[in-house]
Amino acid sequence: MLWLYLHFPHLLLDHLQRSRKETSAMVVITESGQHVQQACPEARKQGIEPGLRLKTALSLATELATVQADPERERLILVQQARWLYRHAAPITLYPPDGLLVEASRLQRLYGSVDALWDRVERLLSDHQLTASLAVGQTPLAARLCARAQRGCRDHGDDTALMTARLKALPLDHAGFERRTLERLLRLGLSTLGDVFALPPTELARRLAPETLMYVQKIQGNRPDPQTAWQPLHHFEQQADFIHDIEYTEGLLFPLQRLLGALEDDLRWRQQDTDRLLLLLHHHQSPATRITIGATGPEHRAEAFLDLVRLRFEQQSLAAPVTALTLRVKRFLPRHEAITQDLLGDAPDLQEAWHTLISRLQMKLGASTLHRLVPQADHRPERAWTTQEPGHRQTGTPAVAAHHHSARPLWLMPHPRPLQETPEAWLAGPERISAGWWDGQRVHRDYYIAQLASGALAWVFRDVREGWFIHGWFG
Amino acid sequence: MSYAELHCFSNFTFLTGASHPGELAEQARDLGYQALAITDTCSVAGIPRAWAALKDSTVTLITGSYFELNEAPAGFMSPAFVLLARNRTGYGQLCRLITTARRRATKGEYQLNPADLIGHNLSECLCLWLPPSHSPLSTEQMTACGLWLQACFPGRFWIAAVRTLEAGETDYLARLERLAERLQCRITAAGQVHTHSRARQPLQDVLTAIRHRTTLDQAGYYLFQNGERYLRPLAVLQRLFPAAWLTETLIIAQQCQFDPGSLCYEYPPDLVPRGQTPAAYLRQLTSAGSQRRYPDGVPAPVQALIEKELGLIGEMAYEHYFLTIHDIVEFARGEGILCQGRGSAANSAVCYCLGITEVDPSRVELLFERFISKDRNEPPDIDVDFEHERREEVIQYIYRRYGRERAALAATVIRYRPRSAIRDVGKALGFDPVLVEQLLNGIDWRDRETDWRQQIIDKNLTRNPRVADQFFTLVTTLLGFPRHLSQHVGGFVISAGPLAELVPVENAAMPDRTVIQWDKDDLESLGLMKVDILALGMLSAIRKALELVSTLRGRSVSMPDIPPEDPAVYAMLQAGDSMGVFQVESRAQMNMLPRLKPSTYYDLVIEVAIVRPGPIQGDIVHPYLRRKHGLEPVDYPNPAVRQVLERTLGVPIFQEQVIKLAMVAAGFSGGEADQLRRAMAAWKAHGDLTPFRERLIQGMLERGHNADFAERLYQQICGFGGYGFPESHAASFALLVYVSAWLKCHYPAAFCCALLNSQPMGFYSPSQLVQDARRHGVTVHPVDINQSQWEHTLEDGGHSLRLGLRLVRGLSARAGKTVVSERPVSGYRDMAQVHIRCRLSQSDMEKLAGAGTFGVFTHNRHQAYWQLLAHEDSLPLALNDGQGDSRSDASTERPEPEEPALPRPTEAQTVLADYASQGLSLGRHPLALLRQQGYFRHCLDAQQLTRAESGRPVQVAGLVTGRQRPGSAAGVTFVTLEDETGNINVVVWLNTARRQRRPLLTARLLHVKGTLEREGDIVHVIAGKLSDLSHLIQTMNVPSRDFQ
Repeated sequence: MLWLYLHFPHLLLDHLQRSRKETSAMVVITESGQHVQQACPEARKQGIEPGLRLKTALSLATELATVQADPERERLILVQQARWLYRHAAPITLYPPDGLLVEASRLQRLYGSVDALWDRVERLLSDHQLTASLAVGQTPLAARLCARAQRGCRDHGDDTALMTARLKALPLDHAGFERRTLERLLRLGLSTLGDVFALPPTELARRLAPETLMYVQKIQGNRPDPQTAWQPLHHFEQQADFIHDIEYTEGLLFPLQRLLGALEDDLRWRQQDTDRLLLLLHHHQSPATRITIGATGPEHRAEAFLDLVRLRFEQQSLAAPVTALTLRVKRFLPRHEAITQDLLGDAPDLQEAWHTLISRLQMKLGASTLHRLVPQADHRPERAWTTQEPGHRQTGTPAVAAHHHSARPLWLMPHPRPLQETPEAWLAGPERISAGWWDGQRVHRDYYIAQLASGALAWVFRDVREGWFIHGWFG
Repeated sequence: MSYAELHCFSNFTFLTGASHPGELAEQARDLGYQALAITDTCSVAGIPRAWAALKDSTVTLITGSYFELNEAPAGFMSPAFVLLARNRTGYGQLCRLITTARRRATKGEYQLNPADLIGHNLSECLCLWLPPSHSPLSTEQMTACGLWLQACFPGRFWIAAVRTLEAGETDYLARLERLAERLQCRITAAGQVHTHSRARQPLQDVLTAIRHRTTLDQAGYYLFQNGERYLRPLAVLQRLFPAAWLTETLIIAQQCQFDPGSLCYEYPPDLVPRGQTPAAYLRQLTSAGSQRRYPDGVPAPVQALIEKELGLIGEMAYEHYFLTIHDIVEFARGEGILCQGRGSAANSAVCYCLGITEVDPSRVELLFERFISKDRNEPPDIDVDFEHERREEVIQYIYRRYGRERAALAATVIRYRPRSAIRDVGKALGFDPVLVEQLLNGIDWRDRETDWRQQIIDKNLTRNPRVADQFFTLVTTLLGFPRHLSQHVGGFVISAGPLAELVPVENAAMPDRTVIQWDKDDLESLGLMKVDILALGMLSAIRKALELVSTLRGRSVSMPDIPPEDPAVYAMLQAGDSMGVFQVESRAQMNMLPRLKPSTYYDLVIEVAIVRPGPIQGDIVHPYLRRKHGLEPVDYPNPAVRQVLERTLGVPIFQEQVIKLAMVAAGFSGGEADQLRRAMAAWKAHGDLTPFRERLIQGMLERGHNADFAERLYQQICGFGGYGFPESHAASFALLVYVSAWLKCHYPAAFCCALLNSQPMGFYSPSQLVQDARRHGVTVHPVDINQSQWEHTLEDGGHSLRLGLRLVRGLSARAGKTVVSERPVSGYRDMAQVHIRCRLSQSDMEKLAGAGTFGVFTHNRHQAYWQLLAHEDSLPLALNDGQGDSRSDASTERPEPEEPALPRPTEAQTVLADYASQGLSLGRHPLALLRQQGYFRHCLDAQQLTRAESGRPVQVAGLVTGRQRPGSAAGVTFVTLEDETGNINVVVWLNTARRQRRPLLTARLLHVKGTLEREGDIVHVIAGKLSDLSHLIQTMNVPSRDFQ
């Protein structure tokens, strides 16, 4: 059996780079934020290598863009790569966070030779703007270790003697032993995997550990190493992550083009169409904006979808800067089949039906007309409540007891109106509110409840400029 | 109309109060308040600073504290209240209560139970109850709580009314009136002040957000609704409060008569034998000591000095202080712990006789002019250094002797520094934390030309200038705010009565440590005394070296036995041969030694003080050197200045000289000079002495100095900042310099052995120390299972050094000591015997094997390790066997397993394995190995370099052992390379560094093309091209990660 392994040394960075037009040095930093975990080629050019302290890296490249490591995110990105590779090579096994394994023996027949398969994969990688180091091996582990050590070599990809020699020459610190085992092997004066192969197996198991022997045997192929084949999910989902926030809808079109291209490829391969896309725009704090794009009929062309999205974006401005964009399609239609157009669509789950209802209402009425009122912890009356897109839970605000003592009018005017008369009577006050200096919306006001000549009870205030205003009415 | 503010938080209520005590005090004075109470949460930490600010004003400072009970005493609510001290007794009661609440909780927290108010005597404290402004409770329920609290303070109970202008205030005030009626008590106005001015509201909001670990955007109702909790002008107060409530504040203030200035230190009486006065006892001890010090009779000048000092001590009533230190030092001496005092009072004939210092007044009379300053009324200052490994014994002795009730460590107030302030304010403003960290990492704090603010602007933290302004204002204001109390490194306060009645005591982070709520500045401003118990690694090393020398000589040798002014010692130091020597071993010092050429004890005093940022930035090093070598005339503007500067050839080198100059040349009074000294210490980083500039320069001009001299002196004072080194400390240090140099000069093996046994300490790694010793002719033997002790030891009559098992990385002390104690007389036979006799864990055995300690059994370290791995499963079997050597038989009887032929370690592998397992190698240096493989043909080694002529282009290579960017040398990086013959000093100028950051910052093996520069015996390579050759370590055929 032959196996082909793809190792992505900086997958997260490639992924981010694909959604940018310009190139600059980027690194992934460890979750603790102290060390470089991955470095893009541009960063490597400036001398930044994985393992370097962030502090040192920053002094080498002052304009360095940094991304926090996120294993879950990397796994999702890896799945996206498995998805396109699956159409050309299967079965596939995932090695999160940065590797894919393909069983090459069967494909050998399909492509004619291992080298031809290799070439195809390399071309696909370059189409997808990805860097990966490939290696062919006689066992999954052999392929994986050689790929990770960048010791894979295309020529005579099926020359088993060469492969064995390459494997034996692998330095021990690239052989994937756990740290303690590696230390022990080095202390024995061994330096390559071949040295370990040469030890008597029973002694290896006795003096190191049975697990070590098992591992070595798996590398050599003397012990079965079953692989779990990955199955693509039925629905389509891809995400583009941005290293800098995107503030205008036009900025989303460039990355979206690629996602829709991937969708088109996917749909072609499925021989299916869809009539509904879901776009999720992710933000820093607030919940993601959901945009449903409905096509009038089944469609698969990226261009057609892009036109629809562009039209939609023209009516809509971004609620908040966008950090990432997800394209999701759950509904696949056989090509040329008539579409049912009931109000809730045919989405089986209620949550989805609710979203469908909301998005249809929004489509009909305009996105900015549908809201839900929620309280917000802020001393400024005009900010003590807010509207949210319906259907989302409130987030973030601390649960400090609200001002149940506060005398607040039920009717708060959208804009305070100058007070034109001298009130008949002052019923309460002053209540001083001074807050909001940090976001440029500072208020500094003394509030009173006053009875006007008309008999109405008004909530009036005087601000720093000594002006008097009516801010609301009591019933 | 007047007013007394009775409830005010300072920033010692951490992350709550947003003004310094001093700011509050000054604002209260400016507003015309009659009194100000500082009432921090369960703390009086802010009191000394407020007191110092109000000392000379008409505003009365009231000492109080704010509490919230831990549970509801009457079942409904936990009351919040303020206690005010009526007098000294009340203050003591308050301190006790705080101590109880603080000691019960973890560091930084407090827990006050209702029972505490009943259990403590609080008869001299007044209570102001603060009913909540918003509460779902009924008036009856609140009344119940009020009644309970009132019962604890009969006749001393008020309701405090706070006007915040927040929602629901009308209801709140009405409720207070009802409560007062039910409780039959009076209402007083109170501010619940958080800031001294309304303009601080933003910072207060930021602190609140930091405290709740959130951003301002998200802080919502955690924030106050407005900034009304400030010190209000009287007119505003008059509008807000009924006159009666305002008057009530004055009535309460009238009752509070406690003045923190009246606290005075009462010395522990324990030290004086019954029936003797402290003065007589001190005289008796001094006299006994002087006879010990001068067996042939006390020289007349010394006797006169003793009399003068005793007179002064008596006049200031400092006897107890000297007796206390004497007692501690006596304890240490009895335990064989080496110690030495330093500081102005330490360098005295009395201290010499008491054994507190070893600086002999008959040898260096210069130092004994300033002893205790009578006109400044400041407490005497003595720091005592102890062996770093045994200081804890001394601390435990103090606790034992005086009890935890009477002894505690002074606090160190940890304050906001630029880094932490930027981080916390950035977080509160909602900046991306990764971005903030990135910025902090990117800031070059030493770059003096562009301060950090400019650097942050340059880095585009925010494009919004308004936000940037806000950010900088907040960060700048936050700088210097206290964050928490930590323990001082060694400042002990010992009192006669219970300490907790002098100042509250709280828990430190370390278990079994307690700290008081004041730091050393607070103690100083209140005139309280402390004893500094410090740790010094060199004392451990000297003690150990002296023990080794004593063994070699067959008689006890101690510090006083070391012959003074030995020319051989000075010759060694003049050559810059000082690795391991106390204080003068750094690269800067090594370069200074050949230039200063010390030849007397006093030269060493100067040497210790001159390589400091102060003298370097004050540009006095070169003038001093020129004068010392007769290249420049020594002149003095007048005899008074001459007297101050004569011993340093007319150039001020010591901190004391600068102070004295201000008095002599500019006519400063003792008090003013003292202020100057504090300003110099406080403004360490900034050197902002502008307030003194005019007075200094004017003073000098008036005394006939020319403007040029005046300006130069002022600049020197500025340069000194807080970095000037006091002569009184340098004098004691210089003695240790001499002693350690003498040991290195005459007993290099013993000295190296002692240093290695005292690690970690000093500048250099064991590897460097061992290389240095070998260059000085010491034979060094490897760690050996049958020869080594746990510690490093001397062999061959002191000429060679045997490395000890403690060098084996990761080996536990217990395992190492067992190996030694279980060792048969004839030595271990094989590894199995070691394993079984000592019952070592597999991991300890592997560490021993990895370090090559089994070399006596097999020369192939790999093979030894292989054999060892098989023992894991045989051990339990063997342990069931009988006693004695038969225990090891079990393993030898096993059928011989298959033996693979493991490769013999190459020389390079051995060297690298040595480094990995013990941090040093006795084999050939990696550079020598590489040279043999043909690398570095064009490079000079460190030895050749010393003979090469100046100005020629050279190439060098070596392992990078040091990279330094001293703050005093703008932009220069000093790199130290090590090869098989010694160390090479490389100087990298800023421009070179900028162009070649990567090799400079990351290389472990560096190749340098440059120019040789020579000044006397000092040789530098001025770097041109740097190349990182770290990969060559890999070509030595072993993965590089083991080589560190």
